[in-house]
Amino acid sequence: MQEGFVRVWSFFLMAFLFAWNVAAQDGMEMRYLVRQGSVALGVNPLTASARKAFYEARGFTATAIRPYAEACGFSFGMQNATDRTIRTALSDWHAVDADGARITLTLPEAWDAQWDKAGMPSAARIAFKWAQFQTSNVFEPGDWIMGMATLKSVPKAPFRLVARYQDNKGDHELVLDKLECAYD
Amino acid sequence: MSPLAAVPPAPTLRLKDADDKIVELAQYKGCVVLINFWATWCPPCRKEFPSLGRVRKLFKPGEFEVIAVNVGEDPDAVFSFAGITDFPVVFDRDSKTMGAWSVRGLPTTFLVDRQGRLAYRATGGREFDDPEIVNLIKAML
Repeated sequence: MQEGFVRVWSFFLMAFLFAWNVAAQDGMEMRYLVRQGSVALGVNPLTASARKAFYEARGFTATAIRPYAEACGFSFGMQNATDRTIRTALSDWHAVDADGARITLTLPEAWDAQWDKAGMPSAARIAFKWAQFQTSNVFEPGDWIMGMATLKSVPKAPFRLVARYQDNKGDHELVLDKLECAYD
Repeated sequence: MSPLAAVPPAPTLRLKDADDKIVELAQYKGCVVLINFWATWCPPCRKEFPSLGRVRKLFKPGEFEVIAVNVGEDPDAVFSFAGITDFPVVFDRDSKTMGAWSVRGLPTTFLVDRQGRLAYRATGGREFDDPEIVNLIKAML
C-alpha cells in the first residue's frame, strides 16, 4: 500500500518536472521566472511529500530523507541562450526573507555527507547527487541545466532569491521576488 | 552542441549492456559516435531519449553510432522505460565512467569524431534529429 503511494507520488513529481521541462524549452514558463538578456532562471517550489516519494522510490529510507524533504526546496532550471560561457556557484546564491535575514543554500555535498553517515545505498546517493542543481555549473551556449536545491532554513515569506552567475563580462545577479516555499 | 576547443581524446568507455555484453567505444573507431549520459528519473533525459533512435536511423551503421550510458540504475528500471532500442544501452552503475568523462549534469551528450576525439558537448536536453545537430554529424563523417 505504502509502496503504491510512493510510486504514485513519484510519478506525479516526474510528470510535474517533465511538464516543466517542456515549458522550459518552449519559453521557460515557470511558476517563478526571471530573464536577464538571454539567461533565464526558473524556480518551482517542491512539496515535502513529492520529494519524499521521489527519493524513497530511489532507495532512501523515510527517516533519512525527511530532513531534506522538509527543508524549503525547489527545482531550478537555468538556461544559457547567449553566445558566451557562463558559470554558477551555488554558494553564491542566497535568499533574503521578509525580515531581511540572509539564508544560504545547503550544498549537495553537505547532504551527501549525511547519506554516507546514514548508510544510504550507493544507487540512491548517485540518483540524489545528479538530481540536484550542482554546486558549480558551467553553461556553454545553448546549455540548460535543471536540478533541485534546498535552503538552510525556512525563510519568512515572501522572500527574495538572489542567483549569481559569471561570464566574460563580469558578475551578474538574477533576482526573483515574492517567492514562497511549497507546503503539502 | 558546443565544440570542444582542444578536441581531446575521448576517455575510455567500456561498460556492460543489459545482457552483460561488453560495449566499448574503441570498437567504433572510424565512426562518429554520439554518447548520451542519462537516467530514467531525469525528465529532460526521458524527453530527448526517443530522438536518439530517430537520429541513429538517419545514418548508415558503421558511419554513425549511438551509445546511451545509463547512470546508477539497473536493467529492469531502464527496460521498463526504454524497451528494446536499436542502439546499445550500457550501465554505469557506480558512475565512475561519468566521472572519467567529466560529466557535470544529466543529460550530457558528446559527439566523438572518427579519430576517437571529443568534438562537441551538450549539457541539458536536446532533440538529436534537429537539423542543426544532424548537419554537425554530417560534417564530421
